[in-house]
Amino acid sequence: MKKVMIVDDAAFMRMAIKNILVKYDFEIVDEAENGQVAVNKYKEKKPDIVTMDITMPEMTGIDALKAIMAYDPNAKVVMVSAMGQEQMIMEAIMSGARSFVVKPFKEDYVIQTLTKI
Amino acid sequence: MSDQYTNEPLLDMFLFETEQLLEQLEQSVISSEKESNFSEEAINEIFRIMHTIKGSAAMMLFDNIAKLAHSIEDVFFYLRKERPSDVDCTVLSDLVLEGIDFIKTEVDKIKNKLPADGTADALVETMKGYLSQLKQETKPETMEAAPAEPEKQQYYISQVKTDTAECNKIYKAVIHYEDGCEMENIRAYTIIHNLKDIASEITYVPSDIIDSDESIHVIRRDGFQIFLKTNLDYRRMFEFFNQTIFLKDLELIQLEHDYEFKKIELDHNKIPALNDMVKELKEKPMHTERTDKDTVSTNTAQSIISVSVSKLDKLMDLVGEMVIAEAMVIQNPDLRGLNLANFVKASRQLSKITSDIQDMVMSIRMVPLSATFNKMHRIVRDMCKKLDKDVDLDIIGEETEVDKNIIEHISDPLMHLVRNSIDHGIEIPEERIALGKARNGTITLEAKNAGSDVLIIIRDDGRGLNKDKILKKAKENNLLFKNEEDMTDKEIFNLILLPGFSTKDNVTEFSGRGVGMDVVRKNIEAVGGTLSVDSAAGKGTVITLKIPLTLAIIDGMNIKVGKSRYTIPTIAIKESFRPKEGDIITDPDGNEMIMVRGQCYLIRRLHELYKVKTDITKFTDGIIIMIEQDEKTVCVFADELLGQQQVVVKALPQYIQNFNKVRGLAGCTLLGDGSISLILDVARMFH
Repeated sequence: MKKVMIVDDAAFMRMAIKNILVKYDFEIVDEAENGQVAVNKYKEKKPDIVTMDITMPEMTGIDALKAIMAYDPNAKVVMVSAMGQEQMIMEAIMSGARSFVVKPFKEDYVIQTLTKI
Repeated sequence: MSDQYTNEPLLDMFLFETEQLLEQLEQSVISSEKESNFSEEAINEIFRIMHTIKGSAAMMLFDNIAKLAHSIEDVFFYLRKERPSDVDCTVLSDLVLEGIDFIKTEVDKIKNKLPADGTADALVETMKGYLSQLKQETKPETMEAAPAEPEKQQYYISQVKTDTAECNKIYKAVIHYEDGCEMENIRAYTIIHNLKDIASEITYVPSDIIDSDESIHVIRRDGFQIFLKTNLDYRRMFEFFNQTIFLKDLELIQLEHDYEFKKIELDHNKIPALNDMVKELKEKPMHTERTDKDTVSTNTAQSIISVSVSKLDKLMDLVGEMVIAEAMVIQNPDLRGLNLANFVKASRQLSKITSDIQDMVMSIRMVPLSATFNKMHRIVRDMCKKLDKDVDLDIIGEETEVDKNIIEHISDPLMHLVRNSIDHGIEIPEERIALGKARNGTITLEAKNAGSDVLIIIRDDGRGLNKDKILKKAKENNLLFKNEEDMTDKEIFNLILLPGFSTKDNVTEFSGRGVGMDVVRKNIEAVGGTLSVDSAAGKGTVITLKIPLTLAIIDGMNIKVGKSRYTIPTIAIKESFRPKEGDIITDPDGNEMIMVRGQCYLIRRLHELYKVKTDITKFTDGIIIMIEQDEKTVCVFADELLGQQQVVVKALPQYIQNFNKVRGLAGCTLLGDGSISLILDVARMFH
């Protein structure tokens, strides 16, 4: 069972991702609604995978990603983005994100991505 | 997409969150419009909210909402990036509010299980038109030139310190991605990014993957071609490429020579290294996500869970039953006359705990009035625009809490009262200035606790109510029940609450049909509240709503009439006493009245009203209870008082309610001894 932390400021999105993951071999260890909380919880819970929304208040997904990568260079972070955010995804990839999922996403795409990283 | 997203909890979450976001958004827009400025925080907030709504709506397949949200997001993306200084705030606000209204309508449809079939195409076109107009008209604050078109970069020099002589293996890889995985160019970039650690030279086609959307189509059509030099063997390279997510097809060939490699290099101009180019992009403040600290935070640090209202309702019911059961134990007829000191002590403890649980459950159901009050900002704004008036809305005490069930019934009446104020009360600016008043009218919405009720006061500084006009209209519609001269000002003002009343000669779109105030009163009374009106000519009008904190449990005085039991809400009781023969008088119409300290009050014999047989028909044998509501007082006559008790109000069963002849009952309850008591509807006692 892979341990996953879901980070998104929209409760709806967190629920949508959770609903998909729990059907497969993933355990949701925690959720966070902004980047700062995500970083703190990462240090505490040490999940195997983090799904990270890009657009969030207070601390963006990119900044949170960088902070997590600085703390743990082996962290596996998957960015969750909308269409049209190519530049940011690339910045994320360069900062160490393993892959990305584009909203609106299909169940098997999410699973494929999280399984293959 | 599959139907995985039609499950109820996810839909509920979507509806809940979207509504919350829309409310937040509306407030932000209205206050920005008032300040004639969209601050950076406001723009960021609106951008983010639209972005979130777009994403969620798309996930739930509500594409019309998603499309509209996207178009508004684009507008605010531009505003965020360029920060133009001369934006017309009113035009922008109108547009966004129109968008909000559309989404609200669709959300309402979805809530009521209707298809969300509205089209926002026209609105989307308007948004797009607005955006292009904005781009032409406004001058961006930042004098950024558009980023230099990066030339077709494809030549990359490895940072890895590998001896190039050793990297003698040349490979060509062609990658096809699965259909629909989206952003193939970025995925291709990911491969290149990961290759840099293991390859010394890389070339790829299409080359402009970072910057061009065109490359996506090329990749989809021809696949992504990579040429690289490395010292890794075939098997390792195959493994590497095979890990690609959404890989549909991989072709990996080890080449003997690098002719093809060189050919492609020559086909394109030599360009700066990939690293440098991306660094350049990073430095440009495009698409930066550096949002400023949110002034309005949606999620606080405290731990909160969401609970379904139906579960709370059930909990409330159970607590009600528990209160009754507790009474049935403690007041059990079996225990009558027994000396039970320890039992009494223990039952007191039980009572206390029951009471605490009751308080806790009620507090869970309590919801602050702020959301309801804040909805009024939009009403004020729209009314002012339509009527060319200027009104400030002051809100006091919005943190005051009221039972969730009751909140739903307050919204509409409040809206009507606010609309009334602006429509009839507040004068147009010119008139106000001529009268020496401030140009802007003020409406104050105030909420405060008063014992077991909540007071909601709507005050305006408009022209006030016209007594003469009211009296005239009341006479015309045969609504006067008293002589004009005998009426107090307040009684005259409260005439407007009667059905069929209206002094506005022309019925406006918003009010004046004579159904408004009466319906407002009914709505308030439906939740057990009362409404009263007061005014000062030329100065303004005050409307006071008194709403009980909760419908479910009241303090009641149990009384006996023959074999029947009734309960009167304690707060309505002014006093009770055994009358003296000399105090009773009969008026010419045969109505029995009683004199108390110089005042005359009508007496209602409960046994006559409810046709109950009782031996107590002489006034001096029974008890008079003086009850009051809204400044009106009446005396009811019963056999005897049985005692005060906290009573759980249960609605009368439907088949009794349907029986029209039953008047004056607000509900029923179970007493401690197991008998049923009917709860008197105090308001009905006056008719």
